[in-house]
Amino acid sequence: MPLNINLQQILLHALNFVILFGAMYFLLYKPVKSFMDSRKAHYEKMDEDAKAVLAEAEKTKAGYEAQLKNADEEIARRQREANEALQHAVDERRAQAEQQAGEIVRKAQEDAAREHERVMEQAKGEISELMSAAAEKLVLSSTSDAYDKFLDTAEERKDNG
Amino acid sequence: MDKKKRTRELIVFAVIVLALLAGCLLTPSGGESEPIQEVMRDAVLHEQNKVSLFGLIEVNPGLISAYIVTGILIVFALVCRLFVIPKFKYVPGRFQLVLEQIVGMFDGLAEGSSPRRNKFLRAYIFTAGVYIFVSTLFELLGIQVVTTSGHAVSLPAPLSDINGAIALGVMSYGVILFGGLIAAGVGGFLHALKDFSLPISMSFRLFGALLSGALVTELVYYYAALSYVLPVIVGVMFTLLHALIQAYVLTMLVSTFYGESTEKHEKKPKAKKVKKSRSETAA
Repeated sequence: MPLNINLQQILLHALNFVILFGAMYFLLYKPVKSFMDSRKAHYEKMDEDAKAVLAEAEKTKAGYEAQLKNADEEIARRQREANEALQHAVDERRAQAEQQAGEIVRKAQEDAAREHERVMEQAKGEISELMSAAAEKLVLSSTSDAYDKFLDTAEERKDNG
Repeated sequence: MDKKKRTRELIVFAVIVLALLAGCLLTPSGGESEPIQEVMRDAVLHEQNKVSLFGLIEVNPGLISAYIVTGILIVFALVCRLFVIPKFKYVPGRFQLVLEQIVGMFDGLAEGSSPRRNKFLRAYIFTAGVYIFVSTLFELLGIQVVTTSGHAVSLPAPLSDINGAIALGVMSYGVILFGGLIAAGVGGFLHALKDFSLPISMSFRLFGALLSGALVTELVYYYAALSYVLPVIVGVMFTLLHALIQAYVLTMLVSTFYGESTEKHEKKPKAKKVKKSRSETAA
């Protein structure tokens, strides 16, 4: 054969390689590969577990967020109710105050009207008294003057007389 | 004082080196020596230097190298299986990391080039890659054996023997061929059969690459004057490069061709011939 190619030696080389393949496969490749696969599976499982825990945490978080949102809504509702109650109380108090003020004003007006009447009555009396006094005074003053004149005249005549 | 002492030491060292060099070059070499032409010719053809295999048959030294390399690898695998792999941890140590890297590298190569039915291919290219790498480095050991003709030869890389290279090339082609048959049916088989030159090209690529390294090393070592310092570069660096490159090239080729043969081969629809009308023809 050219290049000293020998079929027997080719087969011996092939046999040698097949034996090596078997030994390397069962003693080295397969155990290392199975270990690597088991480790990969382990970490994938860990990853999946972590993802599941994360999903659970996300779910719990969403639940809490929903609860928080509801709490916010509850707080807002109660605040609104409190505001409304407060507004109602304020309105009531204001109405009462306005009513009271109206009564006070009305009472004051009545008192004032009564006082006005009383004062007017009193003034009327005083005026009539003053008028009668003035009339009396006027009358008296006019009669006294005439009387004085009479007396003066009478005295003069007596003196002259 | 120190400087003078150092100079004296350097001079003594240089004198010893030069004396030994002169001794090596001037003294006659013992035993019979072959001319370089014969050495080179025999490295290629293995016509003269045969080694007895257990007294049964005379074989090329490369076959003995192949058996020794296989023995070394099997012992290594056995030691790993018994003492190292049971102590594997999820966070790997250095040695575990090296083993995992080697397995992972060939797995990745097989997966990348041939994504379908590649379980056997992974194991095959792992073994082939490790075998080529270690067997190429094996020639650095320079283990001496005595040939049947009485010469002492250092054991070469197993794949620098044409028979070893042909065996690996043909087996690789067989893996591609039957991988195609199993994964893609007759279409895959025929597709791989089309590349009938593949076993020849793979065999002779391995043979040529490793033989050239062996020849250059042989040439360098043949002349005593060249065998200082230079072998460190030629022998070690070239052999390391060869080991890496050839292991990568063969495994890469096998993976690629395996991937091609195992992929689904769909028949191309025949293009319908449209008869031209007479008017178009006339125009």
